Order: sequence, then structure tokens, then C-alpha cells
Amino acid sequence: MIDRRQFMLASAASVGALAGSLPARAEGVPAGYPADYKAILDKARTEGVVSVYTSTDDVQGRPIVEAFQKAYPGIRVDYNDLGTNGAYNRIISEAAAKQVGSDVVWTSAMDLQMVLVQKGLAEAYKSPEMSHLPGWANFSDTLYGTTVEPVGILYNKAQLASLKLPQTRAELLAFMRDNKEALKGKLATFDPEKSGTGFLFFSNDARTRPDTFELVKAFGATEGKTYGSSGAMREKIVSGEHWLAFNVIGSYAIEWAAKNPALGYVLTSDYTAAFSRVANLSKGAPHPNAARLFLDFLLSAAGQSALASAGAPSIRTDVTSGLNLTRLGEMAKGNLKPIPVTAALLEATEPKNRADFFRRWKEALRG
Amino acid sequence: MTDLVVDNVQKWLGGLQILSGASFTAEKGRIVALLGASGSGKTTLLRCIAGLEQPEIGVIRIGGTTVLDDKGKVALPPEQRQIGLVFQSYALWPHRTVFENVAYGLKLRKASATDIKTRVEAILEKLGLGHLAARYPDQLSGGQQQRVAICRALVYEPKVLLLDEPLSNLDAKLREEARFWIRKLILDLKICAIMVTHDQAEALAIADQVLLLKGGSIVQSGTPLDIYSRPETFYAADFMGTNNVLSGRLVGTPGGDAAIDCAGLSLPGTWKDRAAPADPDAVRAVIRMEAISVSPEPSAGSASFDVEGCIYLGEKWEYRLKRGDLRLRAQGHEPLSAAVAHCRIPASATWLYNP
Amino acid sequence: MSLAAQAPRFRATVILTLFAMVAAPAALIIYQSFLSAPFFDESARLSLDAYDFILTDPEFYRALWTTTLYAVGMVVVAVPLGGLLAFLITRTDLKGRGWLEPLVLVPMFLSSIVLAFGYTVAIGPSGFVTIAFRSLFGSAPWSIYTLPGIILIGGLSHVPTVYLYVASAMRRLPSDLEEAARTAGASVWRVSIDVTLPMVLPALVFSAALNLLLGFETFGIPLVLGDPNGILVLTTYIYKVNTIFGAPTYQVMAAVTVFLILITLPLVFVQRRLLRHARRFAAVGGKGARTNLLKLGGTGQAIALSIIGLWLLVSVALPVGGVILRAFVENWGEGVRLSEQLTLANFQRVFELPSLSRGILNTILLAAIGGALAVAFYLLVGLAGHRNHGRTGTLLDYSVLLPRALPGLIVGLAFFWLFLFVPFLVPLRTTLFSLLIAYIIVGLSYGLRIIQATLLQVAPELEESARTAGATTFRTWRDVVIPLVRPGLAGAWAMIMIVFLREYATGVYLMGAGTEVIGSLMVSLLTSGAMDQIAALSFISILLTAIGLTLAMRLGAKIHD
Repeated sequence: MIDRRQFMLASAASVGALAGSLPARAEGVPAGYPADYKAILDKARTEGVVSVYTSTDDVQGRPIVEAFQKAYPGIRVDYNDLGTNGAYNRIISEAAAKQVGSDVVWTSAMDLQMVLVQKGLAEAYKSPEMSHLPGWANFSDTLYGTTVEPVGILYNKAQLASLKLPQTRAELLAFMRDNKEALKGKLATFDPEKSGTGFLFFSNDARTRPDTFELVKAFGATEGKTYGSSGAMREKIVSGEHWLAFNVIGSYAIEWAAKNPALGYVLTSDYTAAFSRVANLSKGAPHPNAARLFLDFLLSAAGQSALASAGAPSIRTDVTSGLNLTRLGEMAKGNLKPIPVTAALLEATEPKNRADFFRRWKEALRG
Repeated sequence: MTDLVVDNVQKWLGGLQILSGASFTAEKGRIVALLGASGSGKTTLLRCIAGLEQPEIGVIRIGGTTVLDDKGKVALPPEQRQIGLVFQSYALWPHRTVFENVAYGLKLRKASATDIKTRVEAILEKLGLGHLAARYPDQLSGGQQQRVAICRALVYEPKVLLLDEPLSNLDAKLREEARFWIRKLILDLKICAIMVTHDQAEALAIADQVLLLKGGSIVQSGTPLDIYSRPETFYAADFMGTNNVLSGRLVGTPGGDAAIDCAGLSLPGTWKDRAAPADPDAVRAVIRMEAISVSPEPSAGSASFDVEGCIYLGEKWEYRLKRGDLRLRAQGHEPLSAAVAHCRIPASATWLYNP
Repeated sequence: MSLAAQAPRFRATVILTLFAMVAAPAALIIYQSFLSAPFFDESARLSLDAYDFILTDPEFYRALWTTTLYAVGMVVVAVPLGGLLAFLITRTDLKGRGWLEPLVLVPMFLSSIVLAFGYTVAIGPSGFVTIAFRSLFGSAPWSIYTLPGIILIGGLSHVPTVYLYVASAMRRLPSDLEEAARTAGASVWRVSIDVTLPMVLPALVFSAALNLLLGFETFGIPLVLGDPNGILVLTTYIYKVNTIFGAPTYQVMAAVTVFLILITLPLVFVQRRLLRHARRFAAVGGKGARTNLLKLGGTGQAIALSIIGLWLLVSVALPVGGVILRAFVENWGEGVRLSEQLTLANFQRVFELPSLSRGILNTILLAAIGGALAVAFYLLVGLAGHRNHGRTGTLLDYSVLLPRALPGLIVGLAFFWLFLFVPFLVPLRTTLFSLLIAYIIVGLSYGLRIIQATLLQVAPELEESARTAGATTFRTWRDVVIPLVRPGLAGAWAMIMIVFLREYATGVYLMGAGTEVIGSLMVSLLTSGAMDQIAALSFISILLTAIGLTLAMRLGAKIHD
């Protein structure tokens, strides 16, 4: 079993070596970037620091931070894991107090960040890396998708040994209905009321899959439990308290399963949604140039490798360390459905739509 | 009938023996005072009788019942000893009225409500507290609190009443009154009472029998008169009264013409110690202040002293006298105007002891 | 102007500063609750929408009801048990009570988030103990994620608060009051009921009121243990209401807080009354303070020790043991052999992550240096209120009481805004001072009580003799009071240090990059479910508390008031 830490360190080092070789070419300007990028680079060096507001926890964010600092020594990264709501709340509070503290906002709350864009708190910027991204991952040159992370199933192998493991959403539904008694209290899923990510998953499902509330209803009938994070669910699956959790962050599940032989994961082959961690520059950022540098690095091959090696699969197709968009598409049997970074994300945040969703959610849970 | 027997009670605290074999008996209608300086073990002895302390050795019988016997392994808890205890602090329960405080012992003895009411009211009335029954302790004066505490300890007619320094928290005037009425009350009720005090005047005034304690054992026991006028040890003699203490050499024989030589003066005296002289070169004389007669004129057998000063005390004068290294305190009804006075000290009042 | 005239001015300055520090966050919260949007939002206008929302939200009523049940249940569990423990330890000849006493207080010093986490890993549905029990007996008949389970745990962990008040009342109770009853014919147990119990009743009622208050403001235990079954109390409702809306709903959070204040403020005043009454009540009675211990006898000893042992097992050994074990393993569960899983990886990761290792350092700094600054501040406030019978004295009393009614979470949020929007405070926001100031307010009533108790130990005659000798109030403080209380201040510092070490709610909204603290990091890690790091941090937190406690004992801190 590979120790996760060593694994990360090793990959971080290799990524660092790769990134370190890049700036050497054109006086520090990465290959393929316009020549005037040097001006940004120089100013960024003067600024000396980039402040990131994020919901990616420190363990997972560390490789990208280290890779960035290797690539641009002398620029410190102030990395603030505030959670999705925490980041959002702090950004609007600071904007109102005219004391913007963030340079880059990088969270998994695609919808909330779209609201920031809508409120005019994001700065537009054409990244030189844009051409490497799928079209759906860029909203008005302001909000960029940086990862593609499937939504999947995590389960405890020993506990589920006697049952047939569902491989599709349809099978999952049947699995819950058929084993209602055996699975009593043994299932878990994300709680859209407690977690913005959970809300994103289920509201997206509700919009795109007609069977969503059927699934919730079947889940409710097994007296399943809901949690505010994938980590909390992992804890319960590892210990055997729960047997299976669905709609968890699948890329985590893949990594956990690789690390712990007791765990297994499934990406349902008829439909696997995927979300992106999205990034934007803050309007009025205290270090606007370092901010650009960081955003570009997030999207660059080096940055994407670092992310992918830390379990956040690359949104690019040309990054091969860890998982990428292409590989995930294969794993989901061609049915990977990333949530596009578009204004449609705002729909779910409309108070009326939210209320409507939660009403249906609660009804379905109660059965 | 002997209501209390205390036999060879010994108690240690850590390695220190604080009671070393106290024995005495007490009867109905009599008051025994445990008198002693602080640290003499008198309170410990009282608490041993009450059952609040456990002596390691000894027998205690109350009203014919053995409440403590180290050999028979008997050690009744306080509540089974049929005693009443009046605390120095009175220890009135602040959350109960006077009536409830007094009634508590009867309630524990399962007396009927009407019985409780009559008996409590009777005793409160007897001690002049009838109108205070509904008050709380903090609404009473010190003297009233003391009487409530006594009522509370007496109302259920205990075999033995124990009083721990019952007068020490009272004003001087009240205290003198209390000496009288407490004694009268106990005699009236014909109960057996044991009182702890450090105040000799109090012990003499109240008790029928005084036990003088020192270092955890009884030095002398007897009637107040015995204790005051026939002390058998130097400690007892010096503890009681206001004294002149002289150190010197014994001359003559204890049975007959004994005298003490001190500071160049030879004073004829009487050997009072219950033991024979241990070292004739080191004996003590105790002379009660009131035993010395002082006059401006010399008389037969008198010795002359320089007058150092006179102190007016109201009903009398105290004289401070000096002869060489020898100093005396004496008293009289007139101030001394001359520089020299003449003292006469009867041999019967010059008590000689081993130190 | 003369020095003598400066004392009132000093008093007024200190007290008004304190009042501003306390009133500003409270006023901001109340103001926010009557707005339609965050107060800094341009669209914000006066409105009752927030109240309208919560008063029509069934979740709110459910949380209110749950909170009430929790608070009352906690009192029902903690008060009798705390009273019993206090009685056994202070009034009987129980064996080993000397070392039992500090042990009994341990749950009080641990942050409830650590405790709650400890319970999940020890006796949760798949905790170490549960699994072991199940493998031995087939099933484990308990569930800590239910409301009764949470109430029981909350109650057990609050036994020390009751113990502290009741034990000190029992120590003050002169033993002759009990002896008088015994000589009057009452047995040991009869005395306990007829004398001891009524005499310590004010302390029992006081600690019940205090626990009721703590119950309404409880956060850590329901946050961790209520999560799996969606059990919400008012504070976790405040914390979660954000997510339910998907956008900041400060006005709703504020409105719930106002409700909470409406519930807790009367409790605070009841406490204040009781405290005054209790003092007067205890002052009556005998002066003989010699304690005579009630003999328990063999069976009594066995029963008493079993009760205490069982309570210690459940309240200390299980959660602390759970945390320690979990900190050193990454995988466990049915069929996993723990001895093969021992690892230091959890700690390695904590020390590798800048934010977490910084959090540990910050917590130590804030507790040690911040604690000292807090003591200095409380001393200033204490002196300003010392023998101050004027109008400012009354204002001080109320300023001290107010923060008691505010949950730490909200104090932190209010200070976050103050540091963001009050110009002269802005430079402090990104420093540890922002947390320190909030901590000082949150710890105010506790810290001040320690300082005041120390100050009151200086006999008035000592001060009066300095005054009559010609010293001004200031000189008297400098030359008499402060030198005399100095040893007490060292103990107070250690106690405040422990309070700051265990604090977790205040920093949740306030901390940022560079100002992380362990407790609040754990709350934020809970959202991402990083249990490995939480376990390691919990372990470190317990370790720091143990060090603080040892230091406190060395410095002779008075845990009893």
C-alpha cells in the first residue's frame, strides 16, 4: 500500500522539477505564453504574495501550492481554507468593507462562485491556458473550471460481499428498493441542506435526471443517513457503520479505495455527473498580477498534474499524471456528464427554486 | 445514679497523643466542667463523649449504655448516644426557624406533632423565647441564639448535656447572667451536664466538679473549692487565680517547718504538692495575690518592699512591689503613698511545689 | 489634578471601554436581525423578514424544542450527579478523594468538540469500544447519535461545573451544623438530607441555572453528535442556516441569536440574584470550619467509588482514550487489528500543513501570552470595580453579564464585522489580536470572577490602613493590593490559559490565514470531514490542556471559587 503522503510528496517533487524547468526558457515566461506576460510576471514578483480563498482542504491543496512556489520562488501563497460558504461570506463582507483580501477564489461551489461573478465581484481575464480547456469550463473569461471530479459511490467491500453491487443508477435504485430491510441505516449520502456540494450534486441531478427523487425516496425508505462531507462518510464506511454512500466525490472515493483495500468505488456507467472546482480573480484584488499567475498555473499542465496527483482529476486531456477528463470519460463508459460552467448554475440559487428543491427533497426522504 | 462514665480514654492524632487516659464519672443533676488551656484536650474529650471523635482506647458509658468500648468493639455513632450538645458557635441551622431548630430532635424521635408543639413551646417559654419561635436564627441576638441552642439540646431530654464553651460568644454582662441561669436550669431539670471551658471563673461558678486538664490528661479533679484552694500540683495552683510565682530553694522539711529561699528572702511555706520534693534546690512557691497583706507600717513577720506603682482597678488597687530581684503583685483598698511598703505572707498561703 | 481624583476617572475609562467592547457586538447583532440583508449590503433595509422566516420555519421550532430538552436534560443529569460527587468528595472519608478531585474536573477543561469527537470514535456506532463490545456480546445496545444519547453526554460532561459550585458551598458549610444534627439524633444520611442539602441548595439551584444557560448555548456536542441524525439545536441551526439558504443569511442568524439572548439573559439575571443570595445565606451560621468527615464504611466506600469510577470511565476515559487511539491509527473497524495500524502519519500531516501547524503555534501563543494580557485586562477591570459602589459599578456588572448570554460563535462573527468595518480596528483584523479581543469578551465573566475572588481576599483593613496612612487609591492598589494578589494572578493566568486553549466557537468566523487556532480549525475540518487531522489536533489539544493544568496546579491556581 502506498502511503498517501509519500505518494503526494513524490508527485509534488516531480511536478516541481517539471515546472522548475519551464521559466528558464524565455526569461521566466512559460512556453507558449505571449511575450508581454513578462510584465505580469515582474509585477507579480514585486507583489510577492497571492492570497487564495478556497474550499479545498490543506492536504489536497498542498501539492498545487508547493508546485506553484517551486515554479515561482519568492511568491508566497496565503492559502485560506474557509469552506464554500465561509469563502463566499467572507468575500462579500470584505468587498462591502472595501478591504478585498482574496486574489484568487477557488472553491467547489460552482453556483456560489457564479453568484460572485453575477454580483460583479470577479475580474475578467483571458488566460493563456484557455485553449487547453474544454469550452464548457470557461464562463465569459471570468470563471474557469479547474478540475473534473466525478460523483460516485463509495462502499465497504466486506459488508457488501453478499449483495450484488449496483453498476448503474438504475441498478442503484433497484438495489435500494430490493434490499430495503437489509440496508436499514446502512446507506449514506451527501446532505444538500448541510453542504453546498451536496446541494450542487442533487440539484444538478434533479435538473438532468428524472429519477432523482425516486432515488432519494428509496434512500429515505432505508433510513439512510445524510452527511455534510465526503470525509465524514468515508469515516463511517471505513468503520462499517455504513456500507455504501452514493453521490460522494468520486475522485476521493477512487483515491481512498486505492489506499485502503477494504474500500471500493463505483462510477455508474449509465450516468456519472462531474463537478469542477472553479476559479476566478477577485475584483480589486490586492495582488492582481500574482493572482493571474496563480490562475494560469492552476490551469497549466504543471498545475493540473499537481492537482491530479493530489486526487483532483485534470480538466485537460493532455495531463497524464493521475486521472484526466479523457480517462474519466472511459471509466464512466462514455457517460461522464460534467456540470458546465454556465449561467444556468444560477437557476438553482434562486430562492424560489431552492425552496422548491428542498420541499421535494424532504418529501422524498420522508417517503 | 452515674449517668456518664469515662474510663481511660486515649486518642492519637497522627503520632501525637492528644488524650492520654482520661477517666471520670458524672451524675444526674450535677455539672462537670472540663477546664484547661487551649490544646489541653478538653474539647477533644467532649467530642469523644459525643461520638464526633473516635478514641483508640477507652470505655464510655452514657445512662448505663456502653457507647464506646475499644475491647468490645463498640462505637455508637453520635445519633445513638442520647446526648445533647451545645456548640460554641451554637450551630443553629439558618434555614430553619427557632421552632424548627428546637423541634428537630423530637421529630427524629418520632414524637407526635402535638407533643412536639407542647414540648417545644414549653421549653422556649421556660427560657423566655416563646415570642421568637417563628424567627430565623439570623434575626436573633447572640444571647437569644445561645438560649435557642440550649433549648434544642435539651428538649428531647438527653441523658447527658454537653456544652462546648457555651458562654464564650457572649458579652461580659450576659455571660455573668448566663452562668447563673444555666446552672439553675440544669439543677432544676436534674440532668447530667458536661461543660468545656477555658475560663476558670466560669468553671468555678457553674460546676459542681471541675476537671483540670493538661496535655490530654486530668491533672486534678474536685469541687471548685478543692481546685481553687487545695491545688495539688504547681500547674493546678498556677492555672487558677492570679498568682505570684517564686522560684527558689527548699529549706526545712515538707511536713513541718518548710520554707523557700529566694532572692535573699526566706519565706516560710507549706508543702502542697502531692509528690515529695524532687530537687530541693529547685522548688516553686505560688502565692495568691489576695493572700498577701500590705501595709505602710511594718508588723511582726513582715518584709519591706519598694513600691513600684499602684494601679486603680475600681473596686481595689493593685500594688507592684519589688525587693532586689523579687517582684510581687498584691492588692488592697488604699493607694500606697510611701516609697516603701511592708508585706506579710502567711506560711499557710505560701504553697510549695515541685516545678 | 491630584492623584486622588484620578481614580474615579480611571474607573470610568476602564468600565466605559469594557462596555463598548461588550455592547458593540451585541448591538450589531440586534441591528442585523432587523434588516432584510447583510447590514453592509446596499439593498439592506429595516424589515422583520428574518423573524418572519424563523417563526414560520418548522426547523426553528424543532431546534428550539430540542435545545430546551437538551438544556433541561443536561440539568437533570448533571445537577444530581455533580451534587452527589461534591458530597462524596468533600464531606465523606472517601478513599483517594485527594487525587479524585482534579480528575473529576477534567471534562470541564476539555473543549466539547474534542470530547464529542472522542465519543464518536470510542462509543459511536463503530467506535473502538462499540466494536469490541459487539464482538464480545453480539450487540452494543446504545446509540450516542440520538437525542437522549446527546443529552446524557452533555449532562455527564457538565458534571464538573455543578461539582465546582456545590463542593465550594459544602466546604464553606461549617461542620458543626451537621454535628449538631447528629448529636440531636440524626443519622449520616438524615443529616445530608435535613442539613447539608438545604444548606447547599442555593449552590445547586445556581449551578442548575448555569447549566441551563450552557445548555442553551451548547455548540460542540450537538455539532458533532447531532450531525448524523440531523438533530439541530439553536446554535447549530445558526451555523447551518447559511447552507440551507445557499447564501449568507446573517439576518436570520442574528434573529435566532436574539431569540437565544431572550432566553439566556433572564437566566443570567436569575444567576446573579442567586449568587448574591447564596453569599448571604452562607455567611450565616457557625464559625467553626473544622470539617468532620462522614464515615462511609466498607459498603459505602465501594458504592461511592463505583459511582465515581463509572462516571470517570464514561466522561473521561472513553472520550480521551478514543481520541488518543484514533490519533494513532488511520483505519479501524470490524476485522481490523489495531496493533497493525499504529502510525504517526496523522501527526506528520498536521505538522506538514502550514495552516495546522500554525494553528497549534497560534493556540499556544494565544493561550500563554494572550492569557497573560487577558489577566492584565481583567485586573484593570477588577480594580475598576473593586470596592466601587457607584453607578459605574452597576454598569460594570451588566457589562460582565451580557457576553454570558451570547454564544461564542456569534461573538466571533460580530467581531469579524467590527474588525472589517470599524476603521481603527482594521489593522488588527489579520493579527491574533482580533481573536484575543473576542476571547477576552467571551471569557470575561469567568476570568473576572477569578480576579475578583483574588482581590476580595485582600482584607479591607489592609487597604484602609494604606489610605489612612496617606496613600491615594492608586497607590493603595500599587503598593498593597497588587503585591498581595500577585500569587493569585499567576493561578488566574493558568486558568485563563486553559479556557483559551479549549475555546473553539469564537474563532469559527473570525480566524483567517495566519490566525488559525486549533479549536476552530477542528470545526472547519469537520465540514470537509478530515477526521485524521481532527484526531491529531484533538490529541494535541488534550496534551496542551494537560500541560496547562499541570502548570495551573504548580502555580496554585484556585479552581474553586
